[in-house]
Amino acid sequence: MAELHVIGQIVGASGFPQNSLFCKWGVHTGGAWRLLSGLKEGQTQVDVPQTGDMAFWSHPIDLHYATKGIQGWPKVHLQVWHQDSFGRCQLFGYGYCHVPSSPGHHRVRCVTWRPLGSWQEQLAQTFVGGGAQLRSPELVYSGADRYRLHTEAMGTVELELGVIMRHFDKYGVES
Amino acid sequence: MREPSQWVPMISRARQGDQGERERWLQQMRVSRLPGLIAGQVKWAEVARREDVAKRSLFIKILYNGKEVSRTDSRSLNTDFRVHFGQIFNLKIVNCPQSINLQVFEELGSSCSLLTQVFVPVPEPSVLTGSVLLEEFEFSSNQRVMFDHEGVGSDVPLSFEPDGSNKQTLLTSGKLSCCVSWGIGEDDVPLAPPVSQQPAGIHSGLGRLDAVTSIGASGLYDMKKIGEWATQSRLDPNDPKNASIMQLLKVARSGEVTAPDYFRLEQLQEEFNFVTDEELEGSKRFRLLRLRNQEVAEFRSYKCVPGLEREVSDKVFQEYEKRLKDGEIIDTKEHLDSHRALVAKYLQKIRESVINRFLLAKHHYLLSDLVIEEEIPSIGILGINLFKLAESKRPLKPQRKERKKVTAQNLSDGDIRLLVNIIRAYDIPVRRPHSNKPGQSTPSVIQGNDWLIGQVQVRPFVEVSFQRTVLQTTTADGPNPCWNEELQLPFSAPNGDYSIASLQSAKDEVFISIFDELVYETGVSDKDGGKSIHTRAEKHWLGSVKIPFSTIYSQSRIDGTFKVNTPSVLLGYSKERSHGTNGGYDMRSLSEGAFITVFITIEPQLVPGEPIREKFDSQEDEHLLQASERFERDAAQRYPDRPVITTVIDLNGKTVFITRYIRPLNPPQELLDAFPNNPQEATALVARFVSLIPSLPDRVSFSGVCDLWSTCDQFLTLLAGDEEEHAVLLCNYFLSMGKKTWLIIGTAIPEGPTAYVLTYEQSRYLIWNPSSGQYYGQYDTFCPLQTVGCLVNADNVWLNVQQYTAPMRISFDTTKANLWKPFFSRSFSHPGLSSVQQGELVYRRTDRAAAAELQDRIEKILKEKIMEWRPRQPTRWNRYCTTTLKQFLPKLELSGGRDVAEGHRHELQSLLGDNRIAGFPLHLPFSEIRPIVEAVHSTGVHNIQASNVEFALAVYVHPYPNNVLSVWVYLASLVRT
Repeated sequence: MAELHVIGQIVGASGFPQNSLFCKWGVHTGGAWRLLSGLKEGQTQVDVPQTGDMAFWSHPIDLHYATKGIQGWPKVHLQVWHQDSFGRCQLFGYGYCHVPSSPGHHRVRCVTWRPLGSWQEQLAQTFVGGGAQLRSPELVYSGADRYRLHTEAMGTVELELGVIMRHFDKYGVES
Repeated sequence: MREPSQWVPMISRARQGDQGERERWLQQMRVSRLPGLIAGQVKWAEVARREDVAKRSLFIKILYNGKEVSRTDSRSLNTDFRVHFGQIFNLKIVNCPQSINLQVFEELGSSCSLLTQVFVPVPEPSVLTGSVLLEEFEFSSNQRVMFDHEGVGSDVPLSFEPDGSNKQTLLTSGKLSCCVSWGIGEDDVPLAPPVSQQPAGIHSGLGRLDAVTSIGASGLYDMKKIGEWATQSRLDPNDPKNASIMQLLKVARSGEVTAPDYFRLEQLQEEFNFVTDEELEGSKRFRLLRLRNQEVAEFRSYKCVPGLEREVSDKVFQEYEKRLKDGEIIDTKEHLDSHRALVAKYLQKIRESVINRFLLAKHHYLLSDLVIEEEIPSIGILGINLFKLAESKRPLKPQRKERKKVTAQNLSDGDIRLLVNIIRAYDIPVRRPHSNKPGQSTPSVIQGNDWLIGQVQVRPFVEVSFQRTVLQTTTADGPNPCWNEELQLPFSAPNGDYSIASLQSAKDEVFISIFDELVYETGVSDKDGGKSIHTRAEKHWLGSVKIPFSTIYSQSRIDGTFKVNTPSVLLGYSKERSHGTNGGYDMRSLSEGAFITVFITIEPQLVPGEPIREKFDSQEDEHLLQASERFERDAAQRYPDRPVITTVIDLNGKTVFITRYIRPLNPPQELLDAFPNNPQEATALVARFVSLIPSLPDRVSFSGVCDLWSTCDQFLTLLAGDEEEHAVLLCNYFLSMGKKTWLIIGTAIPEGPTAYVLTYEQSRYLIWNPSSGQYYGQYDTFCPLQTVGCLVNADNVWLNVQQYTAPMRISFDTTKANLWKPFFSRSFSHPGLSSVQQGELVYRRTDRAAAAELQDRIEKILKEKIMEWRPRQPTRWNRYCTTTLKQFLPKLELSGGRDVAEGHRHELQSLLGDNRIAGFPLHLPFSEIRPIVEAVHSTGVHNIQASNVEFALAVYVHPYPNNVLSVWVYLASLVRT
């Protein structure tokens, strides 16, 4: 019955074409994991940076898991959205990263991508915005085949995660 | 022609194969057919059929893992409807076998068509060449085939009878016989794959195999067997891969598929588990953490969870588990009355469903909920502030200043205090000169003036008790004392939880009791030269006001003069105001009883919960809803301090227009029969009946700011509701009694926004307080109703558009449009809304036996409690006095607590002449035992320290229809003089 604390924050995002951004996030775990306390999904505010390219959210993450196995190690999945001046929201990127598996403080950079539509859709997107979205966002972190998917690289989301592990050594997992 | 054909096995043999992993087959088939209809009888048609048969030939494709690997030669049908292939195919395989499929094709000229396909199970490793028998596989096809000659075709109705009756439909069907086995190598080693790799058993986990082959379920073509196997092998019914097999089973077994409630999403999980599921779930520490996270009431404010498993004791969960278990069991001990226990349970259920509905609504935030933004002061405010500079620093009449509000979440125990400012009281009962002989009432009056000067009338002080903290003011003199003292009482929230929801549901009440302090000299001692006088102070309860904490919290402050609930009989005290008339016109002479002026607030000022901004679905017309929204918005804009309600939420969470609640409803017939000739008395009795239904604020019961209106029959079933329900019921009763009645929506002290009832009789308006049953004239100074927002009756809603809101300064003439703005007017007429109330109320009969039983139980509990509160002294009960009191209580109930006091006092005094009696009856509506115990405790009768004190306690429960109970508790202390 090992325990894992994930403490940290979603710092912000950079490298996106626009910079009025917000982020929906969630943590996915396998069936062996039990959330003891904390919120495992959420949404940040919309940050409109005045200077610079990076949008800062500083959104706290504080999770406490108990686990009976290391399968399905928690992964953070992210969706970065852009809100324009009319209040319309547009998907800017999907990404995920595993929670670091060693204790300590980590800076994690999570790269994102977004699906590309057909050339007509891309043309429409340049003029009116919008764009293709995944029908099921699970695809972002599941290992399903994606070979038909065409994607476009977007910006990077920066996370700071502190990991505290407990009793993993009791079960032969060295940390 | 195509006949119903039959495939019959002829040979089947497996033979040794080549090297390597290989599978070998022998396949031999014979296709036979039924003899033609009757040869010879039909001539050319049969010839045509036979020619057609000769043209057609059959061959079989062999598919391994979905890919064609081989095919047989093409053979035509024999006359006995058999096709014989007799071929053996050797297959060398490199992939795990998943499926072996035989497709039967029909060839006609150069075109060929698929007749059917047969799946052959992959043989088990032990099935080897030479030891295997031919198996038959039945197949059929539902393709429709029709011919222009004698052939019957397929899926075509035909009849063997000459008259064409008894039609049958034959389908293409047949049998395929073949066998499949593993080859044997040169060194007599089976060429089957090793068993470990063979997908056998449920722990296969290789994932790519289909469900049937993965457990080695070859040959399971029997539906029953498949069903058994499906249950044994824990087939995941939710896996899309297994959808077809589950569907098959469902059809085969006519729907009774027992889907197991477990399945494995992750393979190899069990093998790598640190601990078992039970151990993980059974961990007390984890359970504690999760319950805390789920905000279960018992654990919500559990600050420190131990770091080690063994430090969590089992006791932590005991209470919680008990509560879970008690969900089903009704605790009759707590409620004393089985009906009320049921109601409490029902209320609990409604509460849960309502809370669930509001949970979502609670999470809708506005910007102002999250961001505090100071408003930019406008020019007007600036001007007022400049004006303030010229004000005197210490004005003669200081005003209370607004304080900053504090959000409740960052508070802890001891941070919140309740400030009670006791200012003054009026008309407190004064002591009656103590006369031992009851016959001497005349001399005492003569002595009156003399006694007045020499004796103390009354020495009252106020005791405030809240959450068992008791504080008191200094003692003042006289019946109109002025204390002007501030008392600070600490407040601790239930479970140490200071969230808004929890504060709202705090059920504690503030008791403000007025006592008289009596000082007796017990003796003079003459020690050490100096004289010391020993005195004993005794306090006698005169009356009390109770204010629920939830009211203070939602109002944030309570400021005003309340009527003190004085008992109808107060032994040793008189309420006559013999000397209050010496100066001018006295407003208070209109009302009876004592009054107290207090100011109560919470320090620091807490933010009360805001009403839920959620639109509820409604069955009202959209037009009407819009109009009511507009009406309320306009009213809020122009008259922000006048409460206006046009739509309310019913118990189902639906929006209902308010006038639908008003409808004449019959009061219990027994009440009307009680005073057939005196409508005035009957009205008072009906009001009394309504007031006896216990009050329970919605915000307490629903732990959120939502005001739910139940209909009258719901209210009478639940026997609990807040002011609105009382008011609606009273209003409906009055309507059926033929009175002109309105519902007043306004504010009152101490309850805040509330509903009262207005009646018009004998050319004057009466304002009824539905929760106390009392009525006030329009010009009564001590009417608790402070502002009138709107009036409601069955036809219309009127908004008060007059300059003032106090009832005594406004006119109640709703016909004047410049005083009362109607909701339905000529431009928007009343659409004929039907009532939500049931046409006639059915009342349960009064149950005297149950009331008598309850009476005994209450008496027993109270006696036990009083003895418990007096742990140091013996508590003696005076039976003689008790019986006298018991006889007196029913009289009090009948008269409603009036006019009998004097006679009773004389009676008591004649009986117990040489005792000093202090006592009073308490009257309460019955809901549960706790409020009764609290009320008795707050009177402090048990605190008498005298050694020779005796007590008398009598309880009387008077039943009213529909299980409404009126409880009288008469408590007296007797001290022998």
